[in-house]
Amino acid sequence: MSTEQKQKILIVDDSELNRAILADMLADEYEIVEAENGLQGVGLLQQQETEISLVLLDIVMPQMDGFGVLEVMAQNHWIDDIPVIMISAETGSSHIERAYELGVTDFISRPFDALIVHRRVVNTILLYAKQKRLVGMVADQIYENQQRSSLLIDILSHIVEFRNGESGLHVLNVRTLTELMLNQLVQKTDRYHLSPSDISMICTASSLHDIGKISIDEKILNKPGRFTDEEFAVMKTHSLAGAEMLENLPIHQNDPLVKVAYDICRWHHERWDGRGYPDGLHGDEIPISAQIVALADVYDALTSKRCYKDSFPHETAIQMILDGKCGAFNPLLLDCLRDFADDLPAHMNNSNSVAQRSRREMRNVAQEMHRHEELTASERTLQLLEHERMKYSFFADMSKEIQFEFTASPPMITLSNWGAEHLGLDEIIMDPLHQPEAREVMDPADFQNLVDILRSTSPDLPVVTYDCKLNYKGAWRWTQIIARATWSNDEPPRYTGAIGKAIDIHDSRMKLASLERQASHDALTGLLNHAYAKKRILERIESRPTASCALVIFDLDHFKSANDTYGHSFGDQVLVHLAEKLRQCIRGGDIAARVGGDEFLIFLEYKDDVETVISRIFQSLCGQFEHFPLSISMGVALTSTSMCDYDHLFHAADQALYTVKRGGRGQYRFYDESMRETLSAISPIDGDESEQQN
Amino acid sequence: MTLQECYAAMSGNYDDAIGRLRSERLVQKFVLKFLDDGSYDLLCRSLEEKNYEEAFRAAHTIKGVCQNLSITKLQDSSSRLCESLRNGYTPESGVLAEEVREDYAQTVAAIQTFQKESAG
Repeated sequence: MSTEQKQKILIVDDSELNRAILADMLADEYEIVEAENGLQGVGLLQQQETEISLVLLDIVMPQMDGFGVLEVMAQNHWIDDIPVIMISAETGSSHIERAYELGVTDFISRPFDALIVHRRVVNTILLYAKQKRLVGMVADQIYENQQRSSLLIDILSHIVEFRNGESGLHVLNVRTLTELMLNQLVQKTDRYHLSPSDISMICTASSLHDIGKISIDEKILNKPGRFTDEEFAVMKTHSLAGAEMLENLPIHQNDPLVKVAYDICRWHHERWDGRGYPDGLHGDEIPISAQIVALADVYDALTSKRCYKDSFPHETAIQMILDGKCGAFNPLLLDCLRDFADDLPAHMNNSNSVAQRSRREMRNVAQEMHRHEELTASERTLQLLEHERMKYSFFADMSKEIQFEFTASPPMITLSNWGAEHLGLDEIIMDPLHQPEAREVMDPADFQNLVDILRSTSPDLPVVTYDCKLNYKGAWRWTQIIARATWSNDEPPRYTGAIGKAIDIHDSRMKLASLERQASHDALTGLLNHAYAKKRILERIESRPTASCALVIFDLDHFKSANDTYGHSFGDQVLVHLAEKLRQCIRGGDIAARVGGDEFLIFLEYKDDVETVISRIFQSLCGQFEHFPLSISMGVALTSTSMCDYDHLFHAADQALYTVKRGGRGQYRFYDESMRETLSAISPIDGDESEQQN
Repeated sequence: MTLQECYAAMSGNYDDAIGRLRSERLVQKFVLKFLDDGSYDLLCRSLEEKNYEEAFRAAHTIKGVCQNLSITKLQDSSSRLCESLRNGYTPESGVLAEEVREDYAQTVAAIQTFQKESAG
């Protein structure tokens, strides 16, 4: 830990004066952050967890008391890394006992002695720092030792190979393949109870599988061509010979690595069907480590050139193994092999670099450290974390996005710096569902909805998109929230909250809405246009096939003369006026549209007396606009008398309108069979609708 | 008025405060700060509003502050009030609150005099 930077102490106490006294005593050596209640304390811990070296905690506080803070700290495992000293005027033994049970390091009762508080703070921080440093040292040492022992093993196995006249890569290839197989296997089944450290050990020990060959005569080892029976018998002794060498080690006999290596040496020529050597073990009597190394050994032997054979291509080798031509293997392992067969050549090439291996080993150490309960995450991990946090907050600021993190328990939102400013909120919002400022920004119903949706996700499909309005300092704007629910690694996984961002989509959404409106409405009258009305009518007919409906088409009589006499702009005013009247005389569910020119359309549903309905509409549309008398010709077609599809209906109404026009205008008529052969009023002859003959 | 005399005037324990906080400067700084502490106002307001949970916490805070500064008399009365409010209002609370009011007034008066004289 860096000594130049001051370590940070969090003081949680509801009395400012008490905080000030403590801060004053410690401010020279430490950086102090203060919280005036438990919730705020938790918020600061959430935000600066890795930076805080110690917490001084009061018990009796509003919003969340000291015990509440301790419970949250235990829940999040913060208490494992951050020491807490409780300071309280509560001196009842039950309080003290409960505090210790919840994991506090120390308990100081008021009135306190400045020197004692100071000393205990310093001691506790030193102790924890020392522990962290030890963890780091242990991690380094494990890493170094592993490095060194793999180096020795590499040298040793190279000697064996050298004598064997092999490429020198055999041991490495077997190790790589062994690791791939093991990782695949643990994903498939937990039958063999393999921990990451078992895997790492088997991989290391795999390098020793052929050490017994050191006892075989070089003439036999390097003989090109087939072995005689006697020679093969000698050759077969190498597995047992290797095992015996390990068994007879003067020291380390009980080392787990030696035991695993023993299994591998002795049994890497056994077969699943019991026909292998030296012991003729059957199925899972053969340790899984030896089973896997056996398979890896065969694959590499097939794909490498040897003194007695040429190399086979990868695909052929895999096929031969799967077909059982090169031994009998555990079907589960063959499945694993099949699973990654396609990626295998790439893996084998990649993994031959030492750097890669070191990284893998490093990862193993890191995993090991995590698994160990007494040892907390090493300092290296903390630094990485700190680095990630810095990166995150930098990019969050740069991106000008509202980014957030939500924790479910206790409910809390942490906003990115920019996001908080943009929404006029604090960066940390405790209990956002009930916090007045937060409720102003997002409708609590929306918030609850979003939380429910997040909670109902699964670890496999955690991403949610939610559109709602947010209040940006007074302006409600459409916003898209994209969030990813976070799930714990427990079994079963636990919902812990979410991360995500909110994107302002107001402008694009408004633009889309206005485009939609433009596309569906007539610009002059604001009624629907013909195409959109048709779409709506089709939907209506489809959703209510049995309803009785009427399609009405009408136009203004002598509209052309209005245009000619008073000008087109007056004509437009007449149309707007008529459209307004039309809007007033229809019901909410009815569909009204301007078909074009001075022709309009109404689609309505009726119960029994359609005549009265039509008559009423007709009457209310007639009248006068300034000097111009509004006279209407109207044709009506009913779904009960015409075919029920739109085109027939429209055509029938059109024919009824034509009949009215021909018969002297100024009235309405229902379509009947007598009109079947009439012409259309609407289909214009000269193409210009507004100039159409009326 | 010296700080020591101020402590005498508010029935506090000067030696104890100096003994624990280790410096006259520190004690003086926080005794003066006592005047800005809002816990007493909070106590009065909570009692008026009959919010006894809040009143308990306020009394508790006054007690804690007084403990830190060895303002013994107010500490004792606020401690008694605090206990009487721990599980809600009790018949004694009224009388005890009155005691706290008197002691608080005495304490504040002493500190204000000290403040005036040390400033002048």
